[in-house]
Amino acid sequence: MLKRMLILALGLLSFTVFAQSARQTTLVVGVDLGDLITLDPQVSYEFSGSLITDNLYETLVRFEGADLSEVKPALAESWSIEAQADGSHKIIFNLRDATFSSGNPVTAADVVYSFDRAIGIAGPSSFLFTDVAKMAVGSTVAANDKTVELSVPANANPNIVLNLLTFNIGGIVDSKVVMEHELDGDFGSAWIRENSAGSGPYVLERWDAGSQIILTANENASRVGSIKRVILRNMQESSAQQAALESGEIDVAYNFTPEAFNAAKSNADYTALQTDSFQMTYLGMNSGEGKPFADNRIRQAVRYAIDQDGIINNLLGGLGRKMQTIIPFGLFASDDTMYYTHDVEKAKALLAEAGAEDLTVEFLVSTGSCGGGIPCADLGAKIQSDLAEVGITANIRQLVQSELLDIYRAQGAELVVVGWSPDYPDPDGNATPLGDYNAKSLAWRNDWNNPASSELAAAAALESDSAKRGELYGQLTKLVAEEGPFAILYQPSVPIVTRAYVNDFIRNAQGNVDFDKVSKTE
Amino acid sequence: MLAYLLRRLGYLIFVVWGVSFAAFFIAQVVPGDPIAAALGSNARDAQIEAYRIKTGLDKPVWVQYSRYLNRLVKGDLGNSLRTRRAIAADLRDFFPATLELTLAAMVFAILFGLPTGLLAALYKDTVIDVGVRSLALIGGATPIYWLAILLISIFHTKLGWLPGPGRLDAFLIPPPEVTNMMSIDTLIAKDFEAFIDSIRHLILPAIVLGAFSTALLARMVRNTMIEVLAQDYIRTARAKGISERWVIVKHALRNGALPILTVLGNLLGSLLTGAVLTETIFSWPGIGSYATSSAISLDFPAVMGVTLVAGLTYAGINLFVDILYAFFDPRISYA
Repeated sequence: MLKRMLILALGLLSFTVFAQSARQTTLVVGVDLGDLITLDPQVSYEFSGSLITDNLYETLVRFEGADLSEVKPALAESWSIEAQADGSHKIIFNLRDATFSSGNPVTAADVVYSFDRAIGIAGPSSFLFTDVAKMAVGSTVAANDKTVELSVPANANPNIVLNLLTFNIGGIVDSKVVMEHELDGDFGSAWIRENSAGSGPYVLERWDAGSQIILTANENASRVGSIKRVILRNMQESSAQQAALESGEIDVAYNFTPEAFNAAKSNADYTALQTDSFQMTYLGMNSGEGKPFADNRIRQAVRYAIDQDGIINNLLGGLGRKMQTIIPFGLFASDDTMYYTHDVEKAKALLAEAGAEDLTVEFLVSTGSCGGGIPCADLGAKIQSDLAEVGITANIRQLVQSELLDIYRAQGAELVVVGWSPDYPDPDGNATPLGDYNAKSLAWRNDWNNPASSELAAAAALESDSAKRGELYGQLTKLVAEEGPFAILYQPSVPIVTRAYVNDFIRNAQGNVDFDKVSKTE
Repeated sequence: MLAYLLRRLGYLIFVVWGVSFAAFFIAQVVPGDPIAAALGSNARDAQIEAYRIKTGLDKPVWVQYSRYLNRLVKGDLGNSLRTRRAIAADLRDFFPATLELTLAAMVFAILFGLPTGLLAALYKDTVIDVGVRSLALIGGATPIYWLAILLISIFHTKLGWLPGPGRLDAFLIPPPEVTNMMSIDTLIAKDFEAFIDSIRHLILPAIVLGAFSTALLARMVRNTMIEVLAQDYIRTARAKGISERWVIVKHALRNGALPILTVLGNLLGSLLTGAVLTETIFSWPGIGSYATSSAISLDFPAVMGVTLVAGLTYAGINLFVDILYAFFDPRISYA
C-alpha cells in the first residue's frame, strides 16, 4: 500500500515537474493577428506576418536587438561591397554553414532561388527588390556553394540594399522543399503560406486560422534559445489580453490601452515596455495651386497651431514621441530638432500675413484608429479645436479608411490626418515618398512639388558615404519641416506588457522579436 | 412531402440567386477601392493596377457578374482579396467555430428559457413569475459587450472558475482539425482533458451570446403557455382526471410548440449571423470576426461569400422548422 502511494506521489511529482518545465519553455503571446495573411516570407507584408516569418527564416544579414543602425552577419558571415567601373556595385556574401529544418544544407543556390522567387512572385513587397534595389532575375548569382554575388546597378544604393535584405522578403527558403510544392508556377506559395521551410530558430507547427499560431524550436537551427514553443494567440480585444495576462494564461500582451499600460507600470507582477515604432502620424496639407495650403505661410501657421504635447500627453497617455521632421527616431539621420513651437499668436500673424484670416477647409478623418491606437475621431477633434483657436475652420468629414485613401491618393484631400511607416529601415524609406514629388507618393498626394527637395532626396538615396549622406538628409529634413506640406504630429510607441518573469523580450522598431532570445524565470 | 421538399429547394435556389445578386450590386455601389484597401497605404500605383488585373476587377461590372455567377454555379466562391485564398477554404476554417458557439448558446437558451418560461406561466402573477419576468427583462436589455466583460471579470479574473477568451488552454495540444469544432475534434482525437477544457471555454461565450435569446424565449414560452393553458381542451383534459404533468407535457406544450419553434428557428439564424461582438471579445475565430475584417477592408468577394452562406443557413433553418411543424401539428400536411 505504502509502495503504491509512493509510486503515485512520484508520478504526480514528475508530472508537475514536467508541466512546470513545459511552462518554462513555452511562451504564450496575446496579440492581434487580424492582419495575418500569409507566412510566405517573400509575400508577407504585414506586421504579424513579419514578426512570425522573421523567426522561421534567416536572412543574409540582420539587425540585432533594438539597434537598427547597423546590419550584422546572419546567414552571411561576411560580405564586401565592390564598386564597379560603371558606377554599379557588387555585394559579395560568404555564407556560413547552416542547415534548414528539413536537414538540407543552406547553399548559395537557395539564396539565388529565394531572391528570384521574391521577384517572380510579384507580391505586395516585391517592389522593394524591383523598384528600390533595382534587382531583376539574374542579379543574384551563385559563384560557388558558399558565395553569392548580388549586382546592384548604379541607380541603387548598396547600403539600402543591405538594409532591405534584413526584411522578411530576404528570408532564405529551402529551395528543394519549396520546389517540391510548386503548383502551376506559384513558387510553392500556396503551400508555404501555411508551412515553413527555413533555417530560423523555429518551425511552424500549426496555424489555426483566426485563432493561433504555434511555433516549435527548429532542431537544426544555429540560433537556439530556452523557449522551445511559442504560441501566438489571436486576441483582438485589449480587455481580453488584460484578463488573460492577469490570470497568467498569456505571458505577453501586445495591445494594452494607454490607461491599462500606465497602470501596469506600477504593478510588480508586470514589466511594461514602451517600444519604438517607425510609424508616424501626420497632417497632410494640399499645397497645389489654388488649394487652401498653396501658401507656405498658411502651412507654417498650421504647424504653429498644433498642440503636439497636448496630443501626446492627453490623447496618447504619453505613448508617443514628439517629432517634427520626416525621418523617424531610431533611423540613421533622424533629426530631433524642433523647428516650431505651439504658438497661437505666431500662427495668427502668419495667417494674417497670408491674408487667410477666415480660412475654411475640409478635413478628412478616418472612422478607424490612428497611430498609437487612438480613435482618429478624437485626434481629428483635437486638431480641429487647435486650428479653430487660430481662426482656421476645419470641417471634419469622417470616412472609412479605404475611402479616405482613395481620395488622398488622387490628390483630392485638402487636409487629412493619416499615418505612414517606411517600407524598409532606411531614411530613404521616408525621404523619397515624403520629399520627392516625382516618387508619386506622399509629396505628390499633397501636390507639393519642390525641386530642391526632390534633388536632395534623390542624391541622398544614392550617396554611399555615410557622413555626406547624413548631411544631405539634414538639409532635407529642415527644408521639409519648414516648407513641406506636412505637420508631423507624433511617432507612436507600441506598449507591450509582459509578466515579470519574462526576460529579454525585445521588440525593435520594425516590430520584430527574436523569440530565441527570450527566457522565463518562473 | 417529396414534392413539397423539391418545391422548397427550388425556392432555395431562387433565394441564393437573390442574395448573391443583392450582395454583388451592393458591393458595386459602396464607395472605396477594394484593391487599394487590400494593398494598404504604401502601395505603388503599378502594384495596385497589377493586382486589379490579377483579380479581374478591371473588367466591366457585367463581365464580373457573369464570371461570378459562372463560378458560383460550380460552387466556387472565388478568392478573398484580403487573405488571398479561396473563400470556401476561409469559410471552412471560420464557420464551424461560429456554429459550435451558436449551438452552445442555443442549448443554454433552451435549457434555461424553456423551463423558466414554463414555471412563470404555471405560477402566473406569483413571486416566481415576477422574478422570471424581471430576469428576462434584464437579460434582454443587457448589452452583450458589458455582459461579456462583467462575466469575464467575475468568473475568470476574480474567481478563476472558468477560462477566459480563446477555445483551448494554450498549454494543451490542440487536436488535429477534422470538423474545426474544438469540442468535437477533441472527442475524435480521444483527448478528454482537451475536450473538457474546450467545453469550459464554451461556457462564458455561450451564456453571453445566449442571454438575449434566453430572455426572449422565456417570455415567449410564458405568454404562449398562459394562452394555451386557458383553452377549453386543457380544462377538459383536467376534468377527465389526467395528471397535471401529462396535461402540461402532452396537451399544453405540444400545442404551444409551434410559435416557440418559429422563434427558435429565427433565433438560431440571428445568433449565427450576429455573433460578431461575442466573437471579438472572446477571441473566437468565427464567421463574425471574419465578416467584420472583410467588410472593413472592402473585401467584397469574402463579404458576398459570408452573405451567401448566412442566407443559405437562414433558409435551411426555416425549411427545417416548416418540416417540424408537420411533426408537431398533424393538421399541417405538405402532401
